[in-house]
Amino acid sequence: MDVGTVLCLFAVYLSFSFNTMDNPPNPQNIHYLPTTYQASLPPPAEPYDNHRSAHTPIVIDNGSTNLRWGFGTSSTPFSGPNAIAKYKERKTNKPLLLFGEGIDSESGARGQAKTPWEGDILLNFDALENALDYAFIQLGIDTPTVDHPILMTERLCSPLHSRALTSELMFELYSVPSLTYCVDGLMSFYQNHLPPPDTRYSANGLVVSFNTASTSVIPVYRGKGLLNHAKRIPWGASQSSEYLLKLIQLKYPTFPTRITNIQTNWILHNFCSVASDFPALLKKLQNPLNLRASEVVIQFPFTLPVVEEKTEEELARIAEKRKEQGRKLQEMAAKTRMEKLLKKESDLQYLTALKEGRGGESKKEWMGKLQAEGIESEAALDDIIKKLDNDLKKARRKEAGETEEPLEEPSFPLVDVPDADLDEESLKEKKKQKLMKAGFEARVRARKEKEREREEKEREEKREEEEREEDLDGWAKRLRREQEALMSKIKDRARRKAALNDRKSAAAQARMKNIASLAADDRVPKAKKRKIGGEDMFGADDADWAIYRKINTAAPSDDEEDDLAALHTIEQKLLAYDPTFTPSHTHAALASQRSALVSAFRPVYDEADVQGNTRIHLSTELTRVCEAWFAPGMAGVDSAGLGEVIANMVPSFVPSLSASSFRSSSSNTFSSSRPHTSSADRSSVLSNVLLTGLPSLIPGMPERLHSILQSVLPPGTPIRVRRAQDAGMDAWKGMAAFSRSREYTTTPGRERYSVSKAEYEEWGGERVKIWWGGNWNGGVNVSSPGEDEEDGWGGGGDEGGGHGGDWDGDAMEGVEETGDGHGGDGGGGGGSGGGGAPAPGPGPAPSRDLGKAVEAGPSSSSASTSAPVAGPSTSTSEPVAGPSTSAAADGPPPTKQEIENARHVEAMFRKMFPMPGDDLGDNSDEEPDGNGYESTYYEPDPEDEW
Amino acid sequence: MALSSASPSYLTPIHDKLMPKHVLPPKGGLKKKAPSDGTATPITPSLAVQLSYLHHPRPFKNPNYTKNVNRRAKNLKNVLTAERERERAEREARRLEREEAAKANLNAAAAAGDIPEEAPTYTTIEAPPSLIPHKHLCDITGLEAPYTDPTTGLRFHDKSIYEIVKGLNPSIAKDYLSARGVNSIVK
Repeated sequence: MDVGTVLCLFAVYLSFSFNTMDNPPNPQNIHYLPTTYQASLPPPAEPYDNHRSAHTPIVIDNGSTNLRWGFGTSSTPFSGPNAIAKYKERKTNKPLLLFGEGIDSESGARGQAKTPWEGDILLNFDALENALDYAFIQLGIDTPTVDHPILMTERLCSPLHSRALTSELMFELYSVPSLTYCVDGLMSFYQNHLPPPDTRYSANGLVVSFNTASTSVIPVYRGKGLLNHAKRIPWGASQSSEYLLKLIQLKYPTFPTRITNIQTNWILHNFCSVASDFPALLKKLQNPLNLRASEVVIQFPFTLPVVEEKTEEELARIAEKRKEQGRKLQEMAAKTRMEKLLKKESDLQYLTALKEGRGGESKKEWMGKLQAEGIESEAALDDIIKKLDNDLKKARRKEAGETEEPLEEPSFPLVDVPDADLDEESLKEKKKQKLMKAGFEARVRARKEKEREREEKEREEKREEEEREEDLDGWAKRLRREQEALMSKIKDRARRKAALNDRKSAAAQARMKNIASLAADDRVPKAKKRKIGGEDMFGADDADWAIYRKINTAAPSDDEEDDLAALHTIEQKLLAYDPTFTPSHTHAALASQRSALVSAFRPVYDEADVQGNTRIHLSTELTRVCEAWFAPGMAGVDSAGLGEVIANMVPSFVPSLSASSFRSSSSNTFSSSRPHTSSADRSSVLSNVLLTGLPSLIPGMPERLHSILQSVLPPGTPIRVRRAQDAGMDAWKGMAAFSRSREYTTTPGRERYSVSKAEYEEWGGERVKIWWGGNWNGGVNVSSPGEDEEDGWGGGGDEGGGHGGDWDGDAMEGVEETGDGHGGDGGGGGGSGGGGAPAPGPGPAPSRDLGKAVEAGPSSSSASTSAPVAGPSTSTSEPVAGPSTSAAADGPPPTKQEIENARHVEAMFRKMFPMPGDDLGDNSDEEPDGNGYESTYYEPDPEDEW
Repeated sequence: MALSSASPSYLTPIHDKLMPKHVLPPKGGLKKKAPSDGTATPITPSLAVQLSYLHHPRPFKNPNYTKNVNRRAKNLKNVLTAERERERAEREARRLEREEAAKANLNAAAAAGDIPEEAPTYTTIEAPPSLIPHKHLCDITGLEAPYTDPTTGLRFHDKSIYEIVKGLNPSIAKDYLSARGVNSIVK
């Protein structure tokens, strides 16, 4: 693209279509920052008596922004920002420990605030401990242990480090009897699809869970979260808020007040929105008018500068004072002048007297006298006298208010006398006079020249005036042409300068060529030399020398200053006489001109407008920061956005779209067991979308997701996208509802979800049981009779249908039927490595698995297999109590059942990893009375923690 | 649980507030009520002092619990690396297992069916990089950007924005680029 043409067009364009800074921005949609929230005292701790030794479950939603906690029986939880601050108060020097909003009550505490979460990861366990302390204090717990089963959220596929340390806190510090980890998004989905009593929870849908530092998409199939299909996008509200802050800082680099994260969060949640059609919106906003119309203005606090108002009297007094001072100074100056004059006069008198007083003294005596006065010769004396005389005359004239009169022409009598007639002295004098005469004449000439110029200028002006009066339009046009020519000259120069910065530009290369040719020995090529007679004529023309100026990029250009001066005079004339020429047409105004688009994007206020300069105008940013959820790449996060992630899930769930050519296995699957119900079921996962988490409240989010789904699902699919009823609280409420459900409250039921203290002591803190609402990593697969948990988990991957995609087992039924948690499903003993295998009941199948596990045990990574027996055989830092010692451990005495469980588990492991002296051979015999846990250890633990 | 096991440690350093406090007499601001006689300047505890729960009793905490040494040792990077490492090792183990199963059982397909797929972990559920070419947005205004300035690499909407782009000094241009995640590597 030719930049030059663009610029010329640009210059023309400027003068027509651009509005100027003359119109001050006058925003309509101004919002003031909220005043800071003052924390109030929390409600007094609840009376604990209702729950004392009632084992009411405590439900904790440990979110990265808010911590919500309460007894599962209450309808709403306590809630507060998940942060603590340890702070020493300045006045009393008292240490303080503040939680949540309380941190804001002390200005210095904010800087000390710590959160348990570091971005998306639970990492700061000191802070978590303090926060949990606060939670339990608020619940009024006054017993020596927290004797309540705990349900707590954890991040989707939480790193095991976080889980291990959380479990450790719970079991060892608070001595809770059991702990269930839930995935917040799944629990929110549960809350929004609560099954009627006595029916199984088996909803299908897709959870889009907006967290603070990430966003997760989790398919839910028949009530169970398909975590192997889940995806996490590393973009959340905090990233959007930071992005907004960055954009504001770039837009307002010199903003007077500091913009905080809290403020951008407030902006994000109150003004930002998701565009249902982003490209169309951008097209619309290209129009400056639409851009202005869409803007939101945030007024930051400001203080008007105090303008000192002075009364007339005061002003008059000040002026008087100033005058007085001036007069005093003048008087003083006059006095000193007078003194000087007097001194000069007396000097003159003295010297003239001295001169006249020269009587008959000898020359020598006279010289001595003179030298005593500091004068070298008689001539010098004459000079001094003459000078003093002149000075006095001048001073007197000045005093009398006369102007300096032109000097009369001095006479140079010796100049015309021929040299021959002069002696040596006179010759010298003649030379001097000659010089003086030349100087005098030059001065006269210059004066005349000046006069002539002035006259010419006057004549010129007169002529111009006449021209102007005759034909104003023509005159103005001529001047404007001149102005434009000058401006384009200036612009050309600027462009050349810019081009010289680029080594490859034509201008820079021409310059190099010039330098090379100047440096060459024979500048004139031979052919040319012959023609012009072999002479290098460089320099004959004055213009030749301009080449040196041209190649010196650093040299300041005189022309530039001249041009600017000429431009200025032309503009002054035009301003004075041409009514259509306004200050906005001057070069200075045009140079700082902003396009309508730019001034709509970021209106500029007058420098003195303090209020205006503390405003932030937001227009495209409002949707731009939310758009990043759908394209994190625009903010530098290399990840697929929400739309792409959902689109990637389609082939796994919608059979018609999973082309059989590359997904033959899955299409087999769909046609295998129950093709119709299954595939219809599976595809319904994507057409029922639930948005949860506070950022889901951003306007436009459901609409956008709806249009995304519409574009990726087969036409005609009914699509339902909605927000959770209470986007912030539903995860907690779902857990609370679950803690009240029969599924959880019946004793064998709870064991399928939660890790008991005994189990914790055996397995360490990383293990959880796999259930529909929890994580799978570090999971122990627990099947209860009647429920075959094969799909999703076992099938994994995209061929999730490997096992037919059906969990037709009924949990509730199973529980009721067996009545005993460690009932009949002994056949499932092949847990190690085979958790996903369909366990058809007591049968021969598992023995192979088990045997293999035993074989693999000692040889494969020791961590994975030796873990459970760590108690007796390995010595590690962690306090691991073996099953046999669990009864002796601190805390509540284990229940009978727990002891029994422990015994079962111990038996199983002894089978698998025989101690010397154990009989390995009879393992299959003992299987029928095996245990309820079909444990699958997926995790070789590289860290040898147990 | 022996209550006497925790020594009445008035001398405990203040910052060691993790010590069980239930044996200590309650001290601190919350209990202090301002004297109401109004003669002297009443010292009302500030809101923050009232909100502080540093000295609230915490009977439910196990006094014998010692902090896990691991608790503070790991930073975010360590945790994620460990997680990744663990996942890798796990996959390796699974592969070995599968091979062995195949060796032991000629019916390899059946054996493969028995081996569970990997459990999704924090690293595996991360969304893949985007494959959709994303829209070029103007770095200055956020509007559509059909043009790119070759010297700074900034995208711009039209010629009026180009004027701004040309006037940017290099460090600000770099800031604009880094907002988009383009970071020039300075060696």
